[in-house]
Parts: sequence; C-alpha cells; structure tokens
Amino acid sequence: MTSAVTITRHGGTGGRTAVAARARQVVKAYGSGETRVVALDHVDVDIARGQFTAIMGPSGSGKSTLMHCLAGLDTVTSGQIYLDDTEITGLKDKKLTQLRRDRIGFIFQAFNLLPTLNALENITLPMDIAGRKPDKAWLGRVIDTVGLSDRLKHRPTQLSGGQQQRVAVARALAARPEIIFGDEPTGNLDSRAGAEVLGFLRQSVDELGQTIVIVTHDPVAASYADRVLYLADGRIVDEMYKPTAEAVLDRMKDFDARGRTS
Amino acid sequence: MTVLKTSMRNFFAHKGRMALSAVAVLLSVAFVCGTLVFTDTMNTTFDKLFATTASDVTVSPKEAKSDDTPQNGKPESLPASLLEQVKQAEGVKAAEGVVGSSAVTVVNSENKNMGSNNGAPTIAGNWTKNDLRSMEITSGHAPRGPTELMVDADTADKHDLKLGDELRTISVAGDFTAKIVGVATFKVTNPGASIVFFDTATAQRELLGSAGRFTQFNVTAAAGVSDTQLKQNVAQALDGTFKLQTAKENADENRKDVGEFMNVIKYAMLGFAGIAFLVGIFLIINTFSMLVAQRTREIGLMRAIGSSRKQVNRSVLVEATLLGIVGSILGVGAGVGIAIGLMKLMSAAGMNLSTDDLTIKATTPVAGVLLGVVVTVLAAYLPARRAGKVSPMAALRDAGTPADGRAGLVRGLIGLVLTGAGGFALYAAGTADKATDGSLMLGAGVVLTLIGFVVIGPLLAGGVVRVISAVLLRGFGPVGRMAERNALRNPRRTGATGAALMIGLALVACLSVVGSSMVASATSELDKSVGADFIVQGNQRIVPQAEKAMEQSPGLAHVTSYKELEATLTSPDGKTDDSGVTAADPSYAEDLRRVTTAGTLTAAYGKDAMSVGSDYAKAHGVKVGDTVNVAFKGGETAKLKVAAITSDDSALDQGARYISIETMRKYVPAGQIPPNTIMFAKAKEGQTEQAYAALKKSLDNYPQYQVRDQTDYKQELKDQIGQLLNMVYGLLALAIIVAVLGVVNTLALSVVERTREIGLMRAIGLSRRQLRRMIRMESVVIALFGALLGLGLGMGWGATAQKLLALEGLNVLEIPWATIIGVFIGSAFVGLFAALIPAFRAGRMNVLNAIATE
Repeated sequence: MTSAVTITRHGGTGGRTAVAARARQVVKAYGSGETRVVALDHVDVDIARGQFTAIMGPSGSGKSTLMHCLAGLDTVTSGQIYLDDTEITGLKDKKLTQLRRDRIGFIFQAFNLLPTLNALENITLPMDIAGRKPDKAWLGRVIDTVGLSDRLKHRPTQLSGGQQQRVAVARALAARPEIIFGDEPTGNLDSRAGAEVLGFLRQSVDELGQTIVIVTHDPVAASYADRVLYLADGRIVDEMYKPTAEAVLDRMKDFDARGRTS
Repeated sequence: MTVLKTSMRNFFAHKGRMALSAVAVLLSVAFVCGTLVFTDTMNTTFDKLFATTASDVTVSPKEAKSDDTPQNGKPESLPASLLEQVKQAEGVKAAEGVVGSSAVTVVNSENKNMGSNNGAPTIAGNWTKNDLRSMEITSGHAPRGPTELMVDADTADKHDLKLGDELRTISVAGDFTAKIVGVATFKVTNPGASIVFFDTATAQRELLGSAGRFTQFNVTAAAGVSDTQLKQNVAQALDGTFKLQTAKENADENRKDVGEFMNVIKYAMLGFAGIAFLVGIFLIINTFSMLVAQRTREIGLMRAIGSSRKQVNRSVLVEATLLGIVGSILGVGAGVGIAIGLMKLMSAAGMNLSTDDLTIKATTPVAGVLLGVVVTVLAAYLPARRAGKVSPMAALRDAGTPADGRAGLVRGLIGLVLTGAGGFALYAAGTADKATDGSLMLGAGVVLTLIGFVVIGPLLAGGVVRVISAVLLRGFGPVGRMAERNALRNPRRTGATGAALMIGLALVACLSVVGSSMVASATSELDKSVGADFIVQGNQRIVPQAEKAMEQSPGLAHVTSYKELEATLTSPDGKTDDSGVTAADPSYAEDLRRVTTAGTLTAAYGKDAMSVGSDYAKAHGVKVGDTVNVAFKGGETAKLKVAAITSDDSALDQGARYISIETMRKYVPAGQIPPNTIMFAKAKEGQTEQAYAALKKSLDNYPQYQVRDQTDYKQELKDQIGQLLNMVYGLLALAIIVAVLGVVNTLALSVVERTREIGLMRAIGLSRRQLRRMIRMESVVIALFGALLGLGLGMGWGATAQKLLALEGLNVLEIPWATIIGVFIGSAFVGLFAALIPAFRAGRMNVLNAIATE
C-alpha cells in the first residue's frame, strides 16, 4: 500500500535530521459509516531537508489534505506527523499555532496578504505576531531576492498578482521557517508571473537552503522541484527525482489513462 | 415574483446576520407598544374607577375644581339646606350630601403617614350610599359616631392596619383621632389613593370645621329619567349657580386631569423610544450596507444575467420589509410584556394595577408594526440604492470588499456646514437675551450639530481613531496595529457604529452637565442668600397646628411664616396682573437675603407697604413710592405703597411681591387666610444642633412635612435631581443598548466578512488569544470613538443650555467630570463586552475552512 517511499531514519540524538517532516501511517477520513470518505490512506512520507518537493495528483487525490496535515493546519484521523523531531499530531491549538508561527511558512493560492497592511508589514507579520525582531540582514536579502525593495510601502491592492505572491514568498522566507508549504502558489498567476515566483522558490532552496513543499497540478511548476510525489486515492503511488515538465506530464497522462481504464 | 423569492431566500439564508437588526427593531417597537399599552391600561383603570364612583348627577359649588383645594385649605362647600331643594326636583329618586377632602393627612399611632408615596392623594370623607357602588365593606361595619372610621383595604394591607387601630386625621380644621371599625374593599382597581371614611356629622365637623355643610350632592335619577334631564331639573330647582355634572361629565373631567398627566408620561416615553429608533437606524443601515457589500458579486451576477437596477434595489427593500415585519411583530409581543412588567413595577411601588384591565387597542399593534417596517425600509433605502448601482462587471471581479472611496469632499463639506450652522445656533442660544429665543436656537443647534456630527463622523473617524489608538493600543504591538487598521478600513461603518453610541451618550453628557449645574447653582444660591437655619416644607400647606408646634419648639431665635395669596394687582399704568402676592414675617428678609434695586425690604414689611420684582417694576414703570391696588381673593382691595424693588436676577423667589402678615390680616378675613406654604426658622446663637433636633421632635406628629437644615436641604436637592437624572438615564439605556447591539452587529458582520483574513492570520501563527484581543481592541476603539464624540457634543449642548438657563438663575456651570470620565471608561468596557461573542466566534473559526471560504 505504501509504494516507492524511502523510509530513511536519520536521527540520533539532538541536532537537525536530514528529514524536515515525516508522516507515518497517516489516515484522514471524513464522515463515518457509509458516507465515510478516506482522503489519506495510511500515507508514509519523508520530506527531505533543503529540498524542493512537489506533491501532484488529480483532483480529490488528497494532495492538499496531505499538505494541510503536514503543516498542522488539519488534524489526522490516525497516524503521526513529525516536524523535525516534534510530533505535531495531538498537539493542542495553542502549541500548533506557535509551531506554525515559528517553524512553518505558508504560501496560499490566493489571498495571502492582509489588505490593511503594506508589503513590508505583511512580510514581517509572523515575526511581529511572535514578538520577535526580524533579522535585518536576512530580511534585506530576502527582499532583494524577491525584488520588492521599491514596493515595500505599497498596500496589496496596489500590487499586481505576481507581486502579491512574491510578497507572500518573502513573508514565508523572512521568518526563516524550517519548512515552507505552498498550496498551488502559482495557481492564480499567468505563466510569466508564475515562473517568476517558482524561480524565487528554487533560488531560495539553492541559495538559502530552504525546505519547500508545494502542492500543484501544473507539470511546469512541478518541474522546478527536486522531487515529485504522486498521490492518487489518498495514497502515494509514485515519485520522480529531478523532474522535467515533459516527464511529469507523461507520468500524469499515464495515471489518467490508467484511471480511465481501471 | 422571482424578486420576492430571491429576497425571501436571501433573508432566510442570512437570518443570523439580520438577527441583531431584528432585535433593534424589536426593542424600539416593544418600547413604543409597551408605552401605549401601559398608558391605555392606566386610562382604562381610571375610567372604570370614575365610571363607578360618579353618581347620575353631582352638584358642587361653582368654584370647586376636581384637582385643587382652595387656598385656605378647606374644600368649597354647600349648605345642607340646598339638599332639600335638590330632593324636591322632578325625577330625583334620591339625593345625599357628600363630604370629601383631599387636603388631609392620615397617620397611625406611630406618626407614620398612611398616604401613598407616589403622588396619589389621601382622601377623607363620609361613607355614602354612592360609595357602595364601587366598594363593599369586607370587615367590620360602617363608621358610626365621632370616634369611628373605616379605611380602604389596600391601605389597610399596605400598612398592616387592623380593626381597633387608631388613626389620626390631620387637616386645617385640626387633628382628630378615631378607631378603625371597618375595612372597605374596592370592586374595581383603585390605582393608589388612600381613603378613610367617617360618618357624615364627624366628616363635616372634622374636615370642613362646620356642621350642616357638604362639599357635593350626589343625585340619583328616578327610573326613566336621563342624566341630562335630571341635571336640567336639578338646576331649575336650585336658587343660584352651581356646578352640575352628569356622571359622564364628571368622569370626563376626572379623566381629563388624569389623561393630561398620562399624556405627559406617554409622550416622554415615546420620545425615548424615538431616540432608540434613531439609533436603530444606524444599526440597520450598517447591516444592509455590509450585506450588500458581501453580496457584490452575487448582485453583479444578477445584473449580468439581466436583472434591472430597480429589481436589485427592490429585492433589498423587500428584505428590509421582511426584517421590519418580523422585528415589529415580535416587538409588539414584547411590548405587551413590557407593559405588564411596568404594571408590576408600579404595583411594587405601591400603585395598584390589575392585568385584568390590560388594554391593547387595535391601533397599538398596527402602529407598532407600521412604525417598525417604515423605519427599517427607510434605513435600508441607501444601501439598497447602492446595491442597484453595482455594475454587472462586479460579478467578474475578484471578491474582496470594495473600498469605500469617495466618502470625502462632499460629505465633509455638508458635515462642516451643518456643524458650523449648529455651532452658530448654539452660540446664539448661549448669548440670547430672552429664554424663548434662546431655547429655539438651542433646539436648532442640538439638531444641526447632531446631524453634522453624524455626517462628518466617517471623516472624523480617521483622526479620532488614530489618536485613541496611539494612546491606547501602542502597547499591543502588531495586534494593536491591526485592530486600529481594521477600525479605520471602513470609516463609514465605524462612523455609523460610533454615531449610534454617540447619540445616547451625548444626551447623557448634556443632562449630567445640566443636572450638576442645577445642583451647583442652587447650592451657591442657597449659600449666598439663605440665612435661615431650618426649612419646613411638605406636599401640602402647613396646617396651623403644625405651625403652632413649630413656634413652640425650643431654641429658635425666630420662626417665619410664608403664605402665598391669590390676588389681583393693578399697577399705576392700569394693567392688571393676577399672579398673587407673598405674605411673610419681616424675619423672612433675614431668611432669604434678597438684593433690592431700590428701597429696603424692611420698609416693604411695614404697614400697607409691599415690594415688587424688578421685571414687574420695569414692565409697568413702577417706582418706590407708587401705589399698587391689590385685590385679595376672598378679602378686600388694598392700596399698598411700593417700598422696595427686588432684583429678579435670582433663582429663589424670582418675581415675588412681599407684604407683611400684618398687612395681610388687615385685608383678608381670618377664614380666608391660607396656611403657610413653607416655614423657616433660625436657631438661637450657638444652639443650632439642639434646636434642629428639637424642631424635628416638635414636628414628629406631622410626618407630611420635612424639617431640613441647609446641609440636608442641599443634599435633598441633589438627591432629587440625581433621582430624576437616573430615571432619564434609565430610559436612555434603551438607546444605549441598541447602540451596543450596533457595535456587536458591526463586529459580528466584520468577522464574517474577514473570514479569509482571519484564516490567513491564524495559519501564519496568530493565536486565538491574539485574534480575540484584536477584535476586542477594534471594538473598544469604535466604542471610545462614539463616546468621545458623544460626550464632547453633549458637554457642548449642556454648557449652552446652562448659559441659556443662566437667565433663569442657573448661574454656575459645573461639568461633572467624574460622570463624564466614568462614562468614557465605561464605554471602553462596553466595547469589550460587545466584542465578547464576535471574538469568541472568530476564535472558533476553523482555519482551513476560513481560508477556503470564497
């Protein structure tokens, strides 16, 4: 049932493991009895540190649910999820909130920014909420990387869609989270703006050593990743390292064809 | 039809969002209906009472008034011989003489007043056949002989009176003690009068001071004779003119007196309901504005697929109508509840009202629903118009709440012009020379500044919210900053929400300024001009036996009588004035130090002399040395020399004309001399405390009069004004409650509107506590904004009113800072309270659902 997943146990005591997050036998089910729908079916997965992972799959495959569970936004029905060495399944809302605030970054498909705050304020918001001072040098580097230096005082409504997503990326990067989750981060952008954002994500992995997980159904987006996980019917059915857009597309077609014939 | 269907569906789909608006409508309508039902019920109660107490025809002296006792404290009366004439008239089945007086006080053996403390009268009289129509003797028997009396059951219950207990009746005719031999119970509801009955001879002797006289004849018609016919017959049979009334006329006259009083209550309460409605309008406007804003895409879609502006517009108005109907119908029901509650409250306060008499006129629910619906639809009109203006393109645009763009220039200008005009009117009112012009200006100023502030509110919101936030939210970091930004993001909404609170609090501030200025002015006036150590006063004039008791009290340097006399003055210019004169002992000049502009008061208390007020002197060109003709009521006409002119720049005794008691005695026969209205006394040097205690003791027998020294008098004054203010605050509470609902409403709808934002913030690490705090702080800022505007405006109104009333002696402006600051701080708590539920609900939102919400 869990195919093609490398179960690597790094660890030992203390220090950072090479695995940023892992899921063990995670089940997520909605409803009960006859109406029971299983979104995740005993999923095991390791997210490697310092890598760019893309989760793909058709609609309803459970890819967003997996990401939400990994990110501590959603609860699991059974199984465990670890962020680094911390088990986050079973944590109370207060701890989860702290965890999201201090150790995780988010980029959503749309509506990433608070309309009342300007770009800079949006970027530093998680740290402000935590009452931490942003690391000035790091912040400057992040802002330079996403190329927003001249737009910092703008309100979200004064920015284009691409710029807004770049602010969202900057926000996710600025707090130096252990892991950034993106839920279709380029879903609302045209291909050029999308390419820009994905470029930044790639760059932050390569240059800043950031761990990133995105959910996408766009083969081009997936091609920016180091590794692609394929989900179908709540299970991980395949994976691909160093993907290209064409290879991803072929694999997708493959799944589609199988899906239709089965 | 589709329009109606969409409206219905929208209405029910968003019933949660409409709930608070419905409650606002409900409260206001309930208050209106409650007032109507309550006053109608009171009227019914009195109607029933009067209908059973009035005989077919009554004959009374022509001067008799149903609600007043003549100045000498004895009721007008008729000789018994007339009764025989009445009996001779055609169509008379029976006629009997009645003795009745309301100028009495009844006390028990412990000198406790048996009368009600809510203004209902104590009535003493003879027990007649006519009384049997409205009452029955439920224990003991009717009074017989000079030592027996009967009391009504309500009074007996209230004061735990039993047969055999002794009661003392105090009237100008003297004190008189009798034993209770019977208790009579009303068959209809008696709203509160305390009643004692004697036999006829005793009543005549003890209440009128003379045998063989009656205050009224009750005439009963023979079978087949109408009341009107009987009245004519009796009139013909009598020599001289009398006041004849049929049962209906009698009841009508009584009802008119009560009705006028009830109308004052009714319109005052309706006024407060009106304020609540006004506040509710803001709430409804906000609700519909937000619903329309949230539904922009939906409306755009409707427009895109072919709905006309009118249809969209109408669909919103239909929703408003539904809201109005639901709120009003519930309100009518609640109104009946309020009326019953008020009746219970009155009963607890000693006024008997029975729910059997509950009167719900057909017009009451109709008026309630109509009012509720009309107000709701009017309030929804602007948002509906805005909905009609939504372009079909809105359907295609991304969601998000449209920013509220051009609140700017036009609004600012209109607001400034209105506020400016209002400010000018207030200035004019403050500097007016005549009270009538000034009060008109004050009214205009209040209305204009209020509207001006409401219009300009959204613009002020920007600045004021920033200032409040800078002071208050600085310490709360990003959460405070976001709360501030949220309060600022839709100034129109914040403005309207704050304005609702502003109205109630402005009135509170204004009244508290006027109230405390009244206390301060009176206190300063008392300090300045009152020389008397003790003041004795009651609701009724001071009977001679109490006056004597006071004069005999030890330790007093002097005791001053003060009598108000009805008289007509004719000044040298030939003009007449019938506002009477005051007869007092010369020591009164010490008790109340009046400033004279000419002559001396000592001279005015001389033989055949008098003083007049400066306004009168000016109006009629009267100078010291002139002669004024004074025609005393029931006495002779005197030519009195003006020996002093008192300055009318005074709050006490303004315009009074003084003569001495001596002078009065010369022209008014002993039987017509009125009892003292008020009395003053001064203690002998160094004996103030003993004299005060002794004086209180001396007047123990007469609990209807209060003995106060200056300190107690001031306290009493303060308490009375405080009580009045508390009552008004209580009624304003309704408007403030509606305004608080408005804050809750705005926050609750804002939370719904900002679901995705809240989800985002929660996702990136805002804790529940921080989120709730953010909403609470937004609420506090909005509440304080309303409070600041309201209190500022109200203090302005109050100060202007004081300047205007300075013409009437309200010389001292006192701002009750404790109250003002208390209200301001209280508003912050109101803000916290209003945010409780919205914050709780926001905290409970599921993060994922919130993000996913479109």
